[in-house]
Amino acid sequence: MTAGTTRPTAAKHASARASVLTHLALVAMGVVSLYPYVMMLVNSFKSDHEILSNPAGLPQNFTFSSYASLATYHGGVWINFVNGLLIAGLSTLAAVLITAMAGYAFSKHRFFGREVIFSLLMLTLMVPPQITIPPLYLLFAKVGWLDTLQAQILPTIPSVFGLFMVRQYMQSVPDELIEAARIDGAGPWRIFFMVIVPISAPILGAFAILHFLGVWNAYLWPLIVATNPAVQPIMVTLPNMTDPNIGFLPIWGTIMAGCTLATIPILIVFLIFQDRFMASATIGAVKN
Amino acid sequence: MTALPSRRRPRSVETRSLHERVAPCLLIAPFVAAFVLLFLGPALYSLVLSLYRYKGYGSAQFIGLSNYTSTLTYHIFWTALGNTAFYWVAHVVPMMALAFLLALLVRSPVVRLKSVFKPILFLPNIIAVVAATLLFQSLFATQYGIINSALRLQIPWLQDEWLSRIVIVVLMVWRNFGFWFVVFLAGLTTINPEVEDAARVDGANDWQRLVYVTLPLMRPIILLAVVIDAIGSFQLFSEPNILLARAGQLAPSAIAPLLNLMVVDLRSGGFGQASAVGWLLFVIIAAASYVQFRLFRDREDRS
Repeated sequence: MTAGTTRPTAAKHASARASVLTHLALVAMGVVSLYPYVMMLVNSFKSDHEILSNPAGLPQNFTFSSYASLATYHGGVWINFVNGLLIAGLSTLAAVLITAMAGYAFSKHRFFGREVIFSLLMLTLMVPPQITIPPLYLLFAKVGWLDTLQAQILPTIPSVFGLFMVRQYMQSVPDELIEAARIDGAGPWRIFFMVIVPISAPILGAFAILHFLGVWNAYLWPLIVATNPAVQPIMVTLPNMTDPNIGFLPIWGTIMAGCTLATIPILIVFLIFQDRFMASATIGAVKN
Repeated sequence: MTALPSRRRPRSVETRSLHERVAPCLLIAPFVAAFVLLFLGPALYSLVLSLYRYKGYGSAQFIGLSNYTSTLTYHIFWTALGNTAFYWVAHVVPMMALAFLLALLVRSPVVRLKSVFKPILFLPNIIAVVAATLLFQSLFATQYGIINSALRLQIPWLQDEWLSRIVIVVLMVWRNFGFWFVVFLAGLTTINPEVEDAARVDGANDWQRLVYVTLPLMRPIILLAVVIDAIGSFQLFSEPNILLARAGQLAPSAIAPLLNLMVVDLRSGGFGQASAVGWLLFVIIAAASYVQFRLFRDREDRS
């Protein structure tokens, strides 16, 4: 009798304890994930001066002065913010268009050398993209495009990984749909824009998010090719923000305000498209 | 009038078939052109460039493999290679273990609010590398750092070489564990629950089920995660250089990663040398990927 009643309660206790421990561990990791974000936001509302005496606490004098100095620092960091948006946005537009077109051809058209070309493209995934930096620098210097936005946009446009992702998805589009459109008299371009693009919207959206993030986050190539602050994206500006009077001293309030500004667009997209965002992360890894 | 439609029809069929034949070429042309012009061409040119001494102006001088041998005999190269290998090895093991453990925890049936934990744990992966690194700089600064002032200590996190290396590793783990956590979680949900139930019926405890059922089924995903992470780790640049240097300078060579060599060469106008560094990086990445595939495959053969 006693054994019969204690064993389930003991088991229940054990599983209750396991449940509490599991939740504690997850909450602890949640705090670790969020804490730097929270401190970024909190410190962006302190003055550059207050951060030095009070880096870890809540703001004693809540102020927007860091955001204000962001607007005036070296002619306005908003220019660099817009530069970043332009570079990542235009690159994403171009990349999605040409990748969708190529993905459609590689998945639904038969043409000479299709498999060979595709395999060769995939082989180059092994090559680190930094290899192209010295020649691209020489190329853009030759055509006089150093310190321009286009020099920062163009090399980011071709994405073999994106092509792989998009083709994989388009292969699952039923041929009957395309055949039906063809019988209705649609040409290849009409089929592409009216059938293929709408039906591939999920993968094109996922690719767009991934691509935008990659270009928005880029640091090395813009650092090399854009030395003029007027064309630099915000990612190159942020680490170089020092006190205009003293020189070497980083202005932490303003930097935190800049980091907040640089994070907000991504955060908004993430909060709206959470699931697609995380799915796009896993597409490449799990489908293989 | 009546003859027109009949004459038009064969022509339109003909043009359409011509369309159909030309269409794929037109569809792939922009991608292939962009790829050749902006990736393949430059990559091949950098291979040629790596055999020359070229300052970016004047004439280039063919010097054979000198750029490679001079890089390989330069002690900074080996320091940088050692640093990069250290950053990779030191972060990959704890990061993958943490990501896998969290995926197991979030999948467990006792956990509530899964849809809250998942995005929160993914969040560090969303912030830009540059911003994340600056956040860590403000966390770990010696005098005005958040951690030191909360602990009321003066630990020289970013002055001491070994402490800085550890901060870099912590940063790499923090920014990337959420990504692999989501990947592993997606992988775990593809495992048929009946397989695990069968093991449970056979009397396997939680640990045995993990080691003999779940882990072997997850092996391909774990292998891919480790290889992809290694490729990214060898291309490490932003984290050490932003964390440990200021105002356009590079990190001190004692803790610098491989790509710093390329940037140093570029800034001194050594385009051939910089290209050689790039191709050495390629060889290292290819070798590391190959070794990992072999290791995992051997283990699979044995089991």
